[in-house]
Amino acid sequence: MAKPKAEQSVLWLGIFASLTMVTALVFTAIFPSYNNRWSTNTVDGAKYFRAVRADTGTGYSKLEEEGRLVYQREGCMYCHTQQVRPLRTEMIRYGIHHSPAPPADEREGIYDEPHFLGTKRNGPDLSRVGGKYSDDWQFSHLYNPQQMVPGSIMPAFTWLFSNANPADPSMAPVPSHECVALVAYLQSLGADRMIWDPALNGGKGGYRPWLLPQDKQNSLAESQAALMNAAKPIHAPRVSQ
Amino acid sequence: MAVQQIAQISSNPVGERIDHDDDAAKWWMTVALFNVVVFGTFGLIAAVKMVMPGLFAGVSWLAWPRIRPAHVNGVVFGWLVPMSIAMFHYFIPRLSGAKLYGTRISQIALCIWETGVIVATLGLLNPWGGELQAGSLNPWWMTKGKEWEDYNAISNIIITVALLMVDYVIFRTIAQRRYRQIYVATWYAVGTLLWTSLVYVVGNWPGQAIDWTLHTYFGWDALPHFGFTGSNDANVNWFYGHSIVGLVATPGGIALAYYFLPKSINAPLYSHKLSIIGFWTLGAIYFWVGAHHMIYGPIPYWLQTVATVFSFLLFIPVAAAVINFLGTSRGEWHQLRNNVVFKFFIAGTVMYFLVSTQGSFEALRPVQAIVHFTDYTVGHAHLALFGFATMFAFGAALYAAPRMWKRPLYSEGIAEWSFWLAFIGITIYVVSLTAAGIYQGKLWMDYPHLPFIETVVAMVPFWHARAGGGAMMVASMVLVAFNVYKTATSPAPAETRVAAKA
Repeated sequence: MAKPKAEQSVLWLGIFASLTMVTALVFTAIFPSYNNRWSTNTVDGAKYFRAVRADTGTGYSKLEEEGRLVYQREGCMYCHTQQVRPLRTEMIRYGIHHSPAPPADEREGIYDEPHFLGTKRNGPDLSRVGGKYSDDWQFSHLYNPQQMVPGSIMPAFTWLFSNANPADPSMAPVPSHECVALVAYLQSLGADRMIWDPALNGGKGGYRPWLLPQDKQNSLAESQAALMNAAKPIHAPRVSQ
Repeated sequence: MAVQQIAQISSNPVGERIDHDDDAAKWWMTVALFNVVVFGTFGLIAAVKMVMPGLFAGVSWLAWPRIRPAHVNGVVFGWLVPMSIAMFHYFIPRLSGAKLYGTRISQIALCIWETGVIVATLGLLNPWGGELQAGSLNPWWMTKGKEWEDYNAISNIIITVALLMVDYVIFRTIAQRRYRQIYVATWYAVGTLLWTSLVYVVGNWPGQAIDWTLHTYFGWDALPHFGFTGSNDANVNWFYGHSIVGLVATPGGIALAYYFLPKSINAPLYSHKLSIIGFWTLGAIYFWVGAHHMIYGPIPYWLQTVATVFSFLLFIPVAAAVINFLGTSRGEWHQLRNNVVFKFFIAGTVMYFLVSTQGSFEALRPVQAIVHFTDYTVGHAHLALFGFATMFAFGAALYAAPRMWKRPLYSEGIAEWSFWLAFIGITIYVVSLTAAGIYQGKLWMDYPHLPFIETVVAMVPFWHARAGGGAMMVASMVLVAFNVYKTATSPAPAETRVAAKA
């Protein structure tokens, strides 16, 4: 059976096969990136989604930037997402008390390189975790997750602590600089996220932090109480950096 | 396997006989089979750690979040891609009627490739733990932090060099072919290599590492970045991530089936036209679906909808391939009794159909609302990369090994065992994780105040089943690798030795 000439040419095969890839790249990756919500240059109102830090001029301070690298190296994003979907159940689950978590917004990520949106929740979403627990709770949880959350499958990140020896309780573990940076990063997640509240300014509306102050206080107090009930609480080093 | 049959298959219908030494294919296949055992075991360790989080406690380089990317990328870049390349080295000279161009170049490329895989795995595991880690926050060395892009920037450069060398060898071989007509397996091989090379460079662009270097060593904080940020980064990540599954693993596996399925049952291909339709629709549609990994996520709504629509269009290439494979098997079903290579290909075809259908429906918003972020996705990924791609690769390995080394297969019995372990193992794995995912997704959806840890504890029975299924899958990998190893090292049959001298 005679076959068309074009079917006998590897060159045409290669050209057309490359074209399928380039077409899709243009339409699904390049075209959407001309979007005023995706880059630090053209964004409008990004300050309502992540505050700019004085020492670096970006969304992350020096310490938080370092914590972000620790988060990346330890692979936190393989088990924890950083996106609350606009579903009622998720806004309640990842909210705190009477403050529902606002859904993820494209403008929150403009300083994130790489993104940590994630695809799997072996553990809960972390994009609104800033201010939910005290620093001491976070250190204790990183050192021994099962102590703070019975049944947890999170690995114990003992290598982020010096004096780490789970077998010997008399040795007090001390968080390393990397661990302090990691917790600083965690505490910044969602902390500056503002939401539009139509009731503000006498009905004209305005931006306010998503987390109501009394909810934040209650949440921190709860985590501190849980910490006190734990067997071996770890306390934050007093300004070790 | 009768020696006469081997001689008949190796003979060249056009005229003068070409003796394919397959040295490059042997090297690639040996390394690929070594890698599948290593990285499959990594996966098993990760699966066991889900139910025994205290296993290897305190060993930083065996922590779950380091083992997981080493497993995921290891099976693709250490096993599936090298195995596809090995088989391209096997069938492209035969389909072209020409000797492989540059066996030595290809063998050097393999050494470079495996160096890249080892460097990348060391970067992910980072076994230099403890105090030494203080200075180890280097983005050139650690994971890039994005799925399928986890291999570090150094190894990406190494692997790209090896990939280009392989492209050169294969394309030169095709260029000097003696048969004008290009058989569809060659189409898919060319597509796999071309698309792999293109998306690999786009997806692994080391933007973060370049920015970090400029920032740390040159104090340059000027914007814009050399990499992507936030939602843009996620979008490029999934353009690449889905292409790895759809345009590297899928055409690589389908290429093997188009060559080895008709060969193994000695039947002609059902439809050439259908295979060409499948090839071009695969290329035209698969690149568009990446955004379905971020349904309800912080990307434009229209982009999510486009991804969903294209996910359903994928039925066209899937149906083309599945109909073609099943049509080729018409009248040959009795061979399922004793032809283990045929079994692997038919099981893989069925699972390809299942996983593609599952994937299309998974892209729908109401489905995604429940199963996203759960183990459902993990089951889906394993059905694709083990149930479909690895099954095809096992079948190809068991068919090609006796012909490459010109010896009978060491043991048909072990081959049977490896098939049934793989088949039952993946079935247990996928069924348990699919059930687990729907269950956990429903818990999250219906009980927003239920503590998260309760929904984790509820998964433990499913994870036990998964670890059992995973153990069977690893056992099948070990058996296939052992079978090929014993085939290669067994003494050559007398007739073949005489034939080789003549």
